[in-house]
Parts: sequence; structure tokens; C-alpha cells
Amino acid sequence: MRVEYINPFVESAFNVLREVLNSDIERGELYLKSTSQPVLGVAAIVGLAGDVEGRVLFDMSKPTAIAIASAMNGEELKSLDDLAKATITELANMITAQAVTKLHELGFKFDLTPPAIFTGDNMEITDSKVEALIVPVILPQGKVEINVAVRERA
Amino acid sequence: MMERVMDTVTEENRKDRLNKERMEKIDFKMVTFSLGGKDYGIDIMKVKEISKADRFTYVPNTAPFVKGVYNLRGEIISIIDLRIMFHLPAEKKKEGVPENIIILRLDEYLIGVVVDTIDKVVGISSETIQPTPSLFGDINIKYIKGVVNHEGRLYILLDVDRILGAEREEVRKEIDTPLLKRAEEKAEAQDNHQAVDFSFIIDTLATFKKFTVNSINENWVRKRFDEWKSDRAYKGEDFQLKDPVEAEEYLSAFYSPYTGRFWAEEYFKSFEAFLPELTGGSFNVWNAGCGNGYETYSLAVLLKSRYPSSMIKIWAHDNDLLNISNAPNLLVNPEEVPEKYHSFLVEGKNGYQFSQVIKDSILFEYHDLLHQSSFPEVDFIVARDIISFLNPAEQEKVFSEFMDKLKPGGLLFLGQNEILNLEGWEMVDRGTMKAYKKEV
Amino acid sequence: MKTKMDFPNINERKAEGLKPDGTPYKVLVVDDSMFVTKQISQILSSEGFDIVGTANDGQEGLEKYKELYPNVDLVTMDITMPKMDGVTSLEKIIEFDKNARVIMISALGKQDLVKKSLLLGAKNYIVKPLDRNKVLERVLLSLK
Repeated sequence: MRVEYINPFVESAFNVLREVLNSDIERGELYLKSTSQPVLGVAAIVGLAGDVEGRVLFDMSKPTAIAIASAMNGEELKSLDDLAKATITELANMITAQAVTKLHELGFKFDLTPPAIFTGDNMEITDSKVEALIVPVILPQGKVEINVAVRERA
Repeated sequence: MMERVMDTVTEENRKDRLNKERMEKIDFKMVTFSLGGKDYGIDIMKVKEISKADRFTYVPNTAPFVKGVYNLRGEIISIIDLRIMFHLPAEKKKEGVPENIIILRLDEYLIGVVVDTIDKVVGISSETIQPTPSLFGDINIKYIKGVVNHEGRLYILLDVDRILGAEREEVRKEIDTPLLKRAEEKAEAQDNHQAVDFSFIIDTLATFKKFTVNSINENWVRKRFDEWKSDRAYKGEDFQLKDPVEAEEYLSAFYSPYTGRFWAEEYFKSFEAFLPELTGGSFNVWNAGCGNGYETYSLAVLLKSRYPSSMIKIWAHDNDLLNISNAPNLLVNPEEVPEKYHSFLVEGKNGYQFSQVIKDSILFEYHDLLHQSSFPEVDFIVARDIISFLNPAEQEKVFSEFMDKLKPGGLLFLGQNEILNLEGWEMVDRGTMKAYKKEV
Repeated sequence: MKTKMDFPNINERKAEGLKPDGTPYKVLVVDDSMFVTKQISQILSSEGFDIVGTANDGQEGLEKYKELYPNVDLVTMDITMPKMDGVTSLEKIIEFDKNARVIMISALGKQDLVKKSLLLGAKNYIVKPLDRNKVLERVLLSLK
């Protein structure tokens, strides 16, 4: 992944999560994975277009997703219902959008496509042999892996 | 049934002892220990020392009974867990509690075995050693020399040679690479003593620096070894590499010229000898393992100077995030670089950086060579001192990737002390530098 | 000497969402996210605004506006939506009612789309994540 793209994603994840969860965020060490397959149970995906093609995937377990959605809504959600899903989707959207904004400022023309959320039952396995950058984030609600797989448009 | 057999053995031994009391000759000493609840003994002649150890370095791709390797005062020895080897119930040792190890020796070969508890040295008459009762089921019988009774306890005598033989096969086994000859195969043909010394170097270079010694760099490693040995002998020091610092010192002469620095005019000249007449409007390069970018920028300057009106594109990759993060904004001191660079530098508020023309021609990516990559075929691949730091399986994978990504007739540049002898690649020697051409 | 009666009672602070005549401002919330719609609605209604309608996309937003007209004081409009995006919807609403007051909500900041919206007649914009104070401040500015 292009070096200049990395910081915007790391920073925006940090900023948005800290703001919406109002708590301390710990960042794990970045690393590269040979596949972009989501692994934790719930995946919110935002597509990227423009100078690049690819997507940002927010990978987390179901309990973590419910806990995050609960915190963001200021109420205890009992399951990954429509509201919880909409909340996680919106979180993915905000983080990606802020990163894209930063990238615009750096001169990179990225576009977002509307986010989607998948759970264990209907996980898509498209093009999983793409290399992904993993930004692990540790929240009070659990771990979230931000999985970015992009490549320059030929 | 088992008990009856053991009773018989015990009875016979007692009779023996009573008969030979005065004539008892102790001609066999064994170190006794317990394993899975039973008593065992090992010929003391095969025991180098007894030790405790708590941290082993795990070695992948070996059998489960190989616990790993251990640094015993500078010597790297393999540690095997007899409990696992013999499928015995293992005591769950707590983290950080040192394990009991018996260091065994066979000629020059050392190996450590983990046991439950170490008992004492027992002297017996070798005549009292009984053959193994055939009903002994719970241990690999081929590893047992026999059983002996001493002061009411029954000891199972282990055959160390057999055990060592099994281990040696396991740990020394590397991934089968028919393409790249393993240095050890050649080593065995030479003087045995030299070979063992050299194999220690091979081991420690791999352990401390992840450096693989094989046909790619063996010539250099051997030459360096002679130099190193005499150097160390002169200083009154042992030649063995005891830690990463010493391994790095050994390797310090390995790296290609201008590693971590901008290339000077002389190096440009060496490289220029390989540049073709440009037919198309573009020239693509894959710079694998670009580090902090000095090499990459040097390449860009060279190519832009040589092909001013062509599209230069360099894909520069490294899997060290810290290093490569600084590459896009690398600062340059004009006084420290040759004249050739000057027209490509612009002054900014923090100092000089490369011009947009140069920056636009380079794509720095945080990327692992072993993962799938996505860029078009290239004219050159510059991968200096990268291959030697991959293990054999990884090397094979990367060479196949190199083959895929290079245009027919394209050139591959390895490190100064790396040599390629692989099918499909033809060496092009221009005196001060070599390259490898992908055969059409 | 000032007496207690001269100081305004904190409990009787005027709710931001009320017009000078005491009636609430009527707001139409257009957003494809259930979560954002809920957030905006909660922030505004807690200050006395009256949420008179919600819509999930630009098309529905336009239709609802026409239905409720002239009883909509403000529209909050998300930029990225399926079927018809926020900028197009804004354009059509302004076409229908040149005095319509629309505030754009976006996760992207200082983008061409936000600028375009302002040029088309949007009163203001808010960048997500939504902060209660920021939302109220911008909404009130838009209503001036």
C-alpha cells in the first residue's frame, strides 16, 4: 500500500473513534496480511474508487459491534439489530470519509462508495488474495481490525 | 503380566548381586532421571553436563519433540523433549520455571534433552544390564539399550546414539530446494572439522540475522569465514558468533556499495553499462527492499538523466514500515550528493527534497514481497541484499515472482555478493557489476 | 441591591428550538442512515425542535418537502444517499421553494460537493461525527 495513504487512515480511525466513544483508544502495531479476508465475525465495508481501487473493511466480533453501537447510541442494545448495524455502518463511513478528506488535501483523488455491513452468515469472499494493511485498534469494547486493501488504478 | 516380568527381572538381579558381592566391578556409570513417572539412565560418557534452562528459541518445521534451540554459553544446541518423543504424559511446567536438561554429546555434536527430574549418578556393573523385556509398550523400544536394577529401583537405559540420530535428522532437515544447493551438502564433502565450524556460522547467521547461507552467497560467506577466523584468532577470541552484534559484524562486509546512501558517480557508471537504448516511451523498475529510499532516488535520478523524455516509473517496496515511511519526504543535502542530482532538487522549508518530477516517478509502498503484488511487467528489478535474508522457501517464491514480473530480456540486479545460478537466468557481466537476464 | 427576581431562572432557559412566538421550528431530516437520523432527531427534539418528517433518500426527501410545504422550517440533508443524492435533492427543493432552508450533513469535509451545495443555496453544512453543540449552532445559524 502506498506509504502516503497509511497515516490518513490511522489518524482518522483514531480521531473518529476517540470522539464517538469518548474514551482512550490504543493502537496496535500495523502489519501486512496476504489476504483481505475478514476474520472476526462482523465486517463493515466501504469501497474506494478514484485514483485507486479497493476498500476499507472494519473487522470486529459481534459482541464488540453491539458494544460499540450501544456506546454510540447512548443505550444498551441487546443484539445486532437494524439500529446497531446502521450505527456500525455509519462509523465505518465516518472513518473512511475523514481519511479520504485528508487524502484529498494531500493531492490524492479518492472516492467513497456507500458502506455495507456483513455478518458471519453472509460473508463475501471476493478477491481475498489482495494484500491488506491491518491497523489494529483496541477499544474498551474490544478489538477492531481496520483492514485496508487498495491498489493504484493502472 | 508386566508386573510379573518386572518381578522376575528384579529377583534375578538381586540374586546376581548376592552372588557377585565381593567381585562386583563398577564399570558403567549412568546419570539417572525420571520421565513420565519412571526411572531412566543414560551412560555418563555421553553426558556433557546437566543444566537448567527456561527459554528456548522455537524452530519451525521440525517435529513436535524438538523444543527448539538454546544458547549454551555461545553454543547453539537443539533441545528435545523426551516426554513428547516417547509420548509420555508431560508435567505441565509453569511459565518461567526452568526445565531440567541433560546435555548429551556425540563426537562434536551436542543436544539437550528435557527431563522431569534429575536424580543422581549411579555406578553399576555392565553385566547386570538386562535386555529390554519385550512387553515394554510405553516407549519406543528401539531407543532402549536395556534395563538394570539398582538398590531396588528399576532403571531403563536409553540408547543415546539412536536418540541423537533421530534428532539430527529432524532438526537438520531444511525445506527441500532442488534449485538452490544447500551449503551443507557441499560442506559434508570437505574436511569434517571445518565443516562443523562452518555449519555453526551458518546456524548463527540464520538465528541472529535471518541470513540464509546457500549457493546465492556461499562463496562470499566462505571467503569471509577464513578472514573472520584469522581475525578472531589474532584477537584471541573464539570464531563463533555469540549474538546478533557479532553476526552483524560478520555481515558488515556483505552489503552492496552505497547501501543506505545516495549513489556516487562511479556507481552510476557501472549501472549505466546495462541501460538499453529506449525504444518505447517508458521504463519500469521494481525496486524490492528499497529501505529508506536512497537507492530508489538514486535510480530515479540516473534514469531521468539518461532518458529525459521518457516516462520513468519505479515501484519501491519494503516491509519495514518505519524505514519506508520516511522515503517520500526524504531530505537531501546538496553538498553530499554528486552534481548529477542537483537539477532534481528543490528547496523547501525543511531543507532540500527531490523535485516533483522525481517524486512522481516513484511509488513507495509498504509491501511484503511474499504477498501478491499488482503492477505491470518491468524492465529492471533491483533487489540488492534481499534474497539472502529470506529462507529457502521464500527465496523460491520470490524468484518465481521475479520471473513473472520481468519482461523477457529484462534484467535482475542482486547484491554485490549475491550470485544467481538458476535455470532461466543468464548472467550478464559488465566488469564492475553483474546482472541476470531473463531468458527469452 | 439586586434581588433574586432580577436574575433569570436557569430552569426557564429558552429552548433553542422554539421560535420567538414560542412554537417549535419544524424540521425534515433526510438521511439514509437510521443511526444518523436518530442522532439528529434526538439532538434537535431535546431542544424543542419538532421533527415533522424523515426520509431515506433524496427522492423521498423532495417528495416529503413538497407534501409538508409550507410547514417545514429547515431540512437537514445528508450528501451521500442512494437513488438521489443530497446535492441533487437540494437543487430540486430550492427549485420548488427558493426560500427553502437546507443544511448539508456530510462525512467528507471541504469537499467539492459541500462547496457546490453552498453555491446552490444550502445555508450551512455540518461534518460528521455529529457534536451536539456544533449541530445546534449551525442549525440556528441557518434559521436566521
